[in-house]
Amino acid sequence: MIECTHVYKKYKKGVNALFDINLKIDQGEFVYIIGPTGSGKSTLIKLLDGEEIPTKGDVYVVGIDVGRLRHSKVPIYRRNIGVVFQDFRLLPSKTVFENIAYALEVINMSSDLIRRRVREVMNLVGLDDKGNALPGELSGGQQQRVAIARAIANRPKVLIADEPTGNLDPAMSDEIMTLLEKINREYGTTILMVTHDLALVNKHRKRTIALEHGHITADLKEGGYVQHDQ
Amino acid sequence: MISRIWRPIRDGFKGFVRHGAMALSSSVAVTITLIIIGIFGVFMTNVSRFTEGLEQSVQISVKVDYDYEAASEEDRISLAIAGIPGVRAVNYSSKADEFEYYINSFNDEKMKEAYAPFRDDNPMHDAFYVEVSDGTQLENIAAQIEKIEGVEEVNFGGLSAVKMVAAMRSIRLGGTVLALALSLLAIFLIQNTIKLTIMARADEIAIMRNVGARNSYIRSPFVIEGMIIGIVGALIPIAMIFFGYRYLYEITGGYVISRMFSLIEPFPYIWQVCGVLLAISILVGLIGSFLSVNKYLRWKR
Repeated sequence: MIECTHVYKKYKKGVNALFDINLKIDQGEFVYIIGPTGSGKSTLIKLLDGEEIPTKGDVYVVGIDVGRLRHSKVPIYRRNIGVVFQDFRLLPSKTVFENIAYALEVINMSSDLIRRRVREVMNLVGLDDKGNALPGELSGGQQQRVAIARAIANRPKVLIADEPTGNLDPAMSDEIMTLLEKINREYGTTILMVTHDLALVNKHRKRTIALEHGHITADLKEGGYVQHDQ
Repeated sequence: MISRIWRPIRDGFKGFVRHGAMALSSSVAVTITLIIIGIFGVFMTNVSRFTEGLEQSVQISVKVDYDYEAASEEDRISLAIAGIPGVRAVNYSSKADEFEYYINSFNDEKMKEAYAPFRDDNPMHDAFYVEVSDGTQLENIAAQIEKIEGVEEVNFGGLSAVKMVAAMRSIRLGGTVLALALSLLAIFLIQNTIKLTIMARADEIAIMRNVGARNSYIRSPFVIEGMIIGIVGALIPIAMIFFGYRYLYEITGGYVISRMFSLIEPFPYIWQVCGVLLAISILVGLIGSFLSVNKYLRWKR
């Protein structure tokens, strides 16, 4: 489903972000990527969603060579994956309903189907009554649930979540985690979640990949965080 | 299928309304520049029309020597003049015509009668009136005509005519250059304001790409919005020109200072000017938004 082989990333400004990343994630897995700030987590996400191009090596997601996509083809590729960001990235001038519907409009789904599907995912994330609200009128946790609803609306095989709980308090974070687990279980969606919330990682145990200084330092199938004393 | 055509139009209008303040400020930039272009354009088209009229009214009169009045000789002279490069038309006027013309130039009946006896002993010459296609060649062509055998006298209004033609030329040329520069400046200004309205939505464009929207899908509503900005901005200038020019034409009676400087009739001229203004506004809105969106499409991969 997701496969990185000997991936290096060096930014133009000279920052080395990733070294020789080898990674294989199968269909239906739920994987954490953890690591301190500057360890290359965000870079890895950007390589996976096509925002950055690897300096060396191959990145394959759902069988697509993401690193060699043309600029104009990147959005088309993104229809295969859902991405959730720490800062939600909702369209501020569109309502909750329109925000979710937008992801379906762009793939030319008929408006009847869109309406049905948007209600479905709004129900799934527990926001049935917020369809007409603007993102600015919602709490952070609610906005993140809208973003998740949008990300899964067209039934992507992979959901990438970049610190989805980064701006939320622990109770909200727990709610979001429960929601992601539900999506993983019910749809069989492969979920890749970047986080530095260790409490969360230890509570909801999953396969955990640790990054440090651009290297993979641990890949624990049974989960839980290994403390590195340095 | 229908939604593919309607969606960008609908979203374009929505965008215009939702970002009303920004969009309106762009429209105002369009309005101001179009007013300037409109007024200048009306001024220049009028000036260029009457300078062209003046320039074409300049002609060379050629008097034929009394000894060369035979039809065959005059045919030869006519052909020789017509053969000179830069000559647009040669009109013949017989000495009888010349005499009538001279007499009719008096308003006073007594004067006409006083000259009547000369009709049988006509002192006038047969003449050719030569129109030239390029006013600056006046002097040169006149000199060539003078060399033709049988030409008694050539008159082209002298240096003052040549100078006037040259002056008209530079007025027209200067005006055109100024108009072009002004239009370019306007387009630049408008494009910049539109860029500002779109820049405020760079994040929006990045989000659209994130959820899988094609570049063309993102671009089309913005382009429509730009065109709406242009059209809205053109409303006031078009109304101004439409009513203003007709009013101007009415109060001046159709000419300025003298008949020589007559204004262009309002119809269909106003429609043409308004059409051009509308076309400029739509085109500028379209190009401005297209370029700006493209820039922000590239902002994030």
